[in-house]
Amino acid sequence: MRKSTSDNIKRSDEPIWWGLFSAGGVCFAVFVPAAILFIALLIPAGIMAPEALSFERAESMIFSLPGLIFIGVVVCLPLFHAAHRIRHGLHDLKLGKEQLNKIVTYGSAALLSALALVGFVIGIM
Amino acid sequence: MAKQTSYFPELKRDWWLKHPYFKKYMAREATVLPLVFFLVCLLAGLFSLLQGAQGWQGWLQFMQNPLVIALNLLAFMASLFHAWTFFQLFPRVMPLRAGGRTVPPHLMVLGQWLGVLVVMVLAAWILMGGL
Amino acid sequence: MTTKQLSIQRYLPEQGSAPYWQDFDIPFDDSTSILDALNYVKEELDGSLSYRWSCRMAICGSCGVMVNNTPKLGCKSFLREYEGPVKIAPLAHFPVEKDLIIDMEPFLDHLAAVQPYLINDSGLINGSGESEETFKQTPEQMEKYKQFAGCINCGLCYSACPQFGLNPEFLGPAALTLAHRYNLDSRDQGKKQRMPQMNREEGVWSCTFVGFCSEVCPKNVDPAAAVNQGKVESAKDMLIGIFKG
Repeated sequence: MRKSTSDNIKRSDEPIWWGLFSAGGVCFAVFVPAAILFIALLIPAGIMAPEALSFERAESMIFSLPGLIFIGVVVCLPLFHAAHRIRHGLHDLKLGKEQLNKIVTYGSAALLSALALVGFVIGIM
Repeated sequence: MAKQTSYFPELKRDWWLKHPYFKKYMAREATVLPLVFFLVCLLAGLFSLLQGAQGWQGWLQFMQNPLVIALNLLAFMASLFHAWTFFQLFPRVMPLRAGGRTVPPHLMVLGQWLGVLVVMVLAAWILMGGL
Repeated sequence: MTTKQLSIQRYLPEQGSAPYWQDFDIPFDDSTSILDALNYVKEELDGSLSYRWSCRMAICGSCGVMVNNTPKLGCKSFLREYEGPVKIAPLAHFPVEKDLIIDMEPFLDHLAAVQPYLINDSGLINGSGESEETFKQTPEQMEKYKQFAGCINCGLCYSACPQFGLNPEFLGPAALTLAHRYNLDSRDQGKKQRMPQMNREEGVWSCTFVGFCSEVCPKNVDPAAAVNQGKVESAKDMLIGIFKG
């Protein structure tokens, strides 16, 4: 039987990951579709003029404040969204160990996010 | 807990194959897999940009690979499926109240789709030389 | 009268350990419920079949079974709704004691853990446990929790929840919904006592919003919404805790 009024019940750290997951989920739903549509479909398929993503334009667009926001909203937050779903998906499929899964998934999201930010910093210098 | 005489089957890892509802749930969870592919593409693009015009040209060519386009098409569809499920959950998790009444869920869903549309129009405008 | 084939999962612990399927042909019409069919089996075909039931009107919550892998109240689902043979098994994710009878104890433990009753010590006559006057509540205040107050403790949502199936320690949909229901009640002062249970890994945070609990709920309580509103509350509780130090 579980005691219902115990003071030393451990609080989960999940609110942090759930917060990132939710923010990333909004970005995945609202901003990512447009990003995929133009950057990965219409322009590569030749439906839209490739000049839209010429070297000079791409460079001036991404290495700017709006570019930084783009990286945060379309890359970093969706990465944490994905990490959260993969972690819980592994639990659903009874794969791996909870603690290790957490480190690997959120760790990868953090690493790739840091990489994107490093790339941005190199670009503006 | 379970008594000696009771029978307690363990949930096997293929539980989600046993019901159409659970398959849909797993499809929702799996939308992040093609998303990760697209995000890695973007990261590669960022670093090819740092390698000058030639590197960038190489990335543009990589993005034209039919297999890459196919995977990104999958990611696009996944993002819309995710949006469809996510927008329905939102009014249930955070019901908004305005003027003492709960905002009807379908209005909130509609508003979110409107947001997707506005972002697409804005992106088109920026890419077509609006900025 | 047309008949329908019913496959019932039997489990007789005193006669061996393995459950098995037994088929019955049931005469039925538009008004034959799953519970009627089980009663027909017991009265006419095999008196050894065991199952729970009482009210026949979706109030007592005791006749829950899996019908074709979906948790249902036997009294609230009808043979006419199913094409082909109908498979009936005990509610999933619970220990089975005999035939369709499950051990509800894990569920009841989880319910008790969240203290699903009004906690309010104000206005009590010196330790008598009796209040001087009844609590007043406006219709607007009631509206806030009414949606979540319809639970009949049938346990269908636990059988619909794979997270409870994967981890029986998860407090689960009904218990977390009732916790939220009382937290939302203007007459209640027990939120502080309930939050530690909700904040646990096995509290609201084991939920991944599968949403099937809300699909199967015979009273349209929408436990998935309640649990996920509970996540927002738990996240706020964490933030408040950080600022208060």
